[in-house]
Amino acid sequence: MSTRQSIKVENLTKRFTKGTEVVSIVENTSFSIDKGELVALVAPSGAGKTTLLMMIGCVENPTSGTIYLGEEKVYENKWLTKETRKIRREKIGFIFQAHYLIPFLTVLENITLVPQTNGVSKAESEKFAMELLEYFDIADKAHSLSSELSGGQNQRVAIARALANKPQIILADEPTAALDSQRSVAVVDMLKKIAKEQDVAIVMVTHDEAMLPLCDRILNIENKKVVDMKL
Amino acid sequence: MINLAQKDVSHSLGKFLVTAMGVGLLLGIVIVMIGIYRGMIVEAKVLLDDIDADLWVVQESTLGPFAEASRINEDLKYTIRVIDGIKNAEAMTFQNIQLPSKPKPTRVVAVGYDPNGTFNPINPTRIIQGRALQRNHYEIVIADNAGFKLDDNILLGRDEYKVVGVTHGSVSSGGDPLVFISLKDAQELQFLYTNNRIRNDRARGMINNDAHMVNTIVAKIKPGYDVNSIANELRRFKHKAVFTQQEQNDLLSKNLIEKSSKQIGMFAVILIVVSTIIIALIIYTMTLEKMKEIAIMKLIGIPNSMIIKMVIQETILLGLLAFTFGSIFSHLTYDKFPKKVVLETPDSMALFVVILIASILASFIGVKKVVSADPATAIGG
Repeated sequence: MSTRQSIKVENLTKRFTKGTEVVSIVENTSFSIDKGELVALVAPSGAGKTTLLMMIGCVENPTSGTIYLGEEKVYENKWLTKETRKIRREKIGFIFQAHYLIPFLTVLENITLVPQTNGVSKAESEKFAMELLEYFDIADKAHSLSSELSGGQNQRVAIARALANKPQIILADEPTAALDSQRSVAVVDMLKKIAKEQDVAIVMVTHDEAMLPLCDRILNIENKKVVDMKL
Repeated sequence: MINLAQKDVSHSLGKFLVTAMGVGLLLGIVIVMIGIYRGMIVEAKVLLDDIDADLWVVQESTLGPFAEASRINEDLKYTIRVIDGIKNAEAMTFQNIQLPSKPKPTRVVAVGYDPNGTFNPINPTRIIQGRALQRNHYEIVIADNAGFKLDDNILLGRDEYKVVGVTHGSVSSGGDPLVFISLKDAQELQFLYTNNRIRNDRARGMINNDAHMVNTIVAKIKPGYDVNSIANELRRFKHKAVFTQQEQNDLLSKNLIEKSSKQIGMFAVILIVVSTIIIALIIYTMTLEKMKEIAIMKLIGIPNSMIIKMVIQETILLGLLAFTFGSIFSHLTYDKFPKKVVLETPDSMALFVVILIASILASFIGVKKVVSADPATAIGG
């Protein structure tokens, strides 16, 4: 595996049973994503974008194949560790359609929750969280609840949370779906900047074609294979 | 480390407190019911303790005078007094009567005793006004909750009685207020019929000799004598039922209040179960409300143990707060209940432990929901 590769998928297959019918999402597909890349994942609804994202995120069980996250092989026809949640906590950051911040935690607590669970001290995690909040220009909201923030501010906090554990990979599931076009562009620009500055691989599921030119690569699911798509 | 339970509760503190208050009212009722049970035991022993007899002699084959009706001749006291080992013996009567108090009659138990005798069933420490009986006729000492004042006149049967003393805390085994009248008055009240009835009985050839009946003879034993031996002697040669103070105590607590106490115990257990179910349902609902957040927490890698800890801590906190509110409620209201309520610390501590265990059990339903939450539900809107 190349040292630049952040995600490497080999011969990945995902099938599930729907009633009596066996439905296949992907069959023996392989692809890789490098560090620092912002990759858009597009496909028609129901093609399996989110399922693919969940397999990379160690949430959904593949049927077979191999998945590398960074240097570590995490799946080879079975999960190679029982602690898939630990992999998520340490290697992956998640961004969702809505911000999905924990409503009873402040902005600062939302961002420091995962690092503190990883054993980072309160002081250290809060210092880094404040740096992230300053980076996103919402440091003054550190002690606010998500209900006190605007939609755009909440989405920035959600991105800060995804970065708080210094992940190798960020998986974003339609992060611009709830935003207007101007804010969507701002968020994708921000993700691209983060990918470059933090050297993180970002996979972003999107339906918004206007966002595609902003991405480094576009992956599509065609005939149950993940393929590079040209604009 | 962030304490999720503390943050969640702080976020919805008002709702959490109101919920705890609701459950607390239920637990308060449990505490009061246990207090009523304790009160029944205390009240059952008040009269026995105040009379402080060693032996209770009653009609043969009865469990008198409280558990069953008993009638024996008053002059038996003279026979008993001369038995070796007997220090003193007196006759007594006990009867339920209705006092004509306003706005409605009050049910009381009248204790008849000889004011000049050697047994005084009125505990001097209970007299809050006036004095004990001094005359053989037309005086009455009355409990303060019977609805009369010192110097009031009360019409009982054919005669008017003057209230010469007021007591506090004098109650029968059934919780009714006690009044004290002289033995002679009590015998008339209980056994002397109306003139019409006497005439009617005479016409039938019946002669009423009941005026010298009593319900029991109580006796005290001289030091150094065995109470059980004397009781056996009385049973064998005098053809009477005899109970020691302890046996009379057992009769009252087992025969008279056992069913009531079981009933109250059942209610208390049912209420504890209901409280547990309510706590479980509240925690289940609170967990359901947070399912999206729980799925997100699981997705971003928060371990189950941390989320389960949150649910368990919230459940225990709910239980503890409910218990606190319940204790406050019971202490504010216990003296407003018509029956005596005795709140004892060991009972509260036992309930505290039960609620703690029940809360932990109740949290399992929420924990099960947490464990089964699918992190994948956080993705895809």
